[in-house]
Amino acid sequence: MPETSPLFDEFGRCLPTGINAPAHQKTRRYFLIDKPDINYSASYERLNQAFSISDAISQEQYESRVTSILAEIADNKLMKPILNGAMAPFILPKAVYDDIGQAMESTFLPAVQSAFNSFFPDYDFKNHSPRSLNGQLSVAPGSRHQQVLDQMANEVVVGVYFPCLSEYSVPAAIERMATLPEQFSLAGGFDTSAAFVSMPDLLFRKEGYPPLLWLSGLVSTEQNVAYHFEAYGYDLTFNRRVHLGQVAEYWSSGLVMIG
Amino acid sequence: MLNLAVEQSDSVLSADELAKREGLRARKPYVAEKLANIHAMEGRGEISPIIRLEKSYLCNFQCTHCSAEYYMDRHMEKVLHVKDERKKIDLDDIRKLSKEADELGLARFVITGGEPLVMRDLDEVVAAIDPEKHYVILDTNGWFLDDEKAKHLKEIGVEKIQLSLDSFIEEDHDNFRNKKGSYKRVMRAIDAALDAGLNLILSTVLVKGRAKTEEFLEMCQYCTDKNVGLYVSYAKPTGSCTEHPEFVIEKEDADVLRQLEKDYNVFTHMTPSYGSHKGCITVKGIITVTSTGEVTPCPYIDFSIGNLFETSLKEVLDRGMRNPWLGPHRPDCLIGEDPKFIKIHTEKTAGATHLPLPWGEGFSDNDSLTD
Repeated sequence: MPETSPLFDEFGRCLPTGINAPAHQKTRRYFLIDKPDINYSASYERLNQAFSISDAISQEQYESRVTSILAEIADNKLMKPILNGAMAPFILPKAVYDDIGQAMESTFLPAVQSAFNSFFPDYDFKNHSPRSLNGQLSVAPGSRHQQVLDQMANEVVVGVYFPCLSEYSVPAAIERMATLPEQFSLAGGFDTSAAFVSMPDLLFRKEGYPPLLWLSGLVSTEQNVAYHFEAYGYDLTFNRRVHLGQVAEYWSSGLVMIG
Repeated sequence: MLNLAVEQSDSVLSADELAKREGLRARKPYVAEKLANIHAMEGRGEISPIIRLEKSYLCNFQCTHCSAEYYMDRHMEKVLHVKDERKKIDLDDIRKLSKEADELGLARFVITGGEPLVMRDLDEVVAAIDPEKHYVILDTNGWFLDDEKAKHLKEIGVEKIQLSLDSFIEEDHDNFRNKKGSYKRVMRAIDAALDAGLNLILSTVLVKGRAKTEEFLEMCQYCTDKNVGLYVSYAKPTGSCTEHPEFVIEKEDADVLRQLEKDYNVFTHMTPSYGSHKGCITVKGIITVTSTGEVTPCPYIDFSIGNLFETSLKEVLDRGMRNPWLGPHRPDCLIGEDPKFIKIHTEKTAGATHLPLPWGEGFSDNDSLTD
């Protein structure tokens, strides 16, 4: 049942209302993402470099579709405060992947690496995952992440990534989806990767620490294990971790809205 | 035959580290097996903290940044004019701790202090820990670590030495340590430890701004050339360092160091190691057992999570992992970088005569990040 009470706080954090899984009701806002400005030109260039989408969508169309998504949110009183937080627009290529893990390894993580290295030639992106992702990942039930994959099967997808489920356990992030507006889905691997291609500095902070970002829209074949992006100093990393369904001040997940 | 956990963990080891572990496996198969299992334990979300054992705080040095100074009799008696009447751990308590730790799969003890090499019962302490069951490491300032002592330590079962070197500039190290000649003794101790076949790491304190200095880079290079790890500990606003807030690092210092890890054999307690990405290691990667049986979650946090005279090690660890400051994964150093926790710690320990503050006075089950 969609909610009518506030969905997001004044900083864009999705309020952990009505969930049983662990999430912090209050936050001291210690692990933060600085709200970056969106440079559509640079973002598009990197996304095109990664996914060769220029034949399907122009920079102007990209900017226009993102603007439409943001306008739809701004027009909704309950959703509007999400715009006060960090966000990253992205494009996903039209594609169908039988194996999400394999596609992450062959396409999306290399794309993040390339974009990050171009943006930060002195720093590194590293995939620390100790084992192959082949066959390891599927859509988490209840995450609505399948919406993103279904649209990818039909067309180039434009969306906006919001890392706003801060201080949620992975199960809490999934549980929260049940009462959020249907336009939102929980971010998984392709959309989060595309957000980093679009804005490689999303987790780059000099004055404080940014949160770890789970790919909560995906479930691993290993119980209580999920995959995530995380800063390590000025570097960006990808890794797996046991989460045991617990909450940490440092852990966040992301919502995605496509349009 | 190696089990799967051993094969998996060894697959990411350097050739040098692999050779060391194979050597240990030949000499102490039980210890080697436990060490190899840590990888699998962490993979399941279990913890395997190193146990730092502070049986005695006797020390021949009086260092500017010492985290243990306020635990020492000399400080309590001469500065605070109090006597520590609390019950102290003895060899039987250490044997019990060793057994409890072993039953939990814990594999590593660090004998620290104070200066372990001035302890009259050091050999008995090593035996009580049981080097056939645990990997035994010894912290030292190196003053007494000559060839004879190093060989003796190896003979009694010590595997590794952590040797303090606070500057690659002789005069600065001696000044920091308030002990003339200490730099030369460290250099002697490096050779003595390596010649005796002991594993060795150097440990050094990072004060604000040091990561960018020529001196620090030279020390990193020296350790890399020598194939010796350089363990870097951030200066924390506790112990003697309480009087030197200017030493406390900023995030930039930590980030500069993270970049240096790529080029040099240098690391901190939070550096990813062989597939382990713990971040802050409070409880998860380290605990300290003080001379009064108190367990602290980190060498620099003066709040106890329980006393082993009253509570089992397992319950103390579970209690620590339940605590919102200590259990959850985080990338920064709680006592070295989190301003809110530093403030709480400073306020609660101010004026305290007997450290650490017992469970319930520092940490408790009512702790909250946001109150």
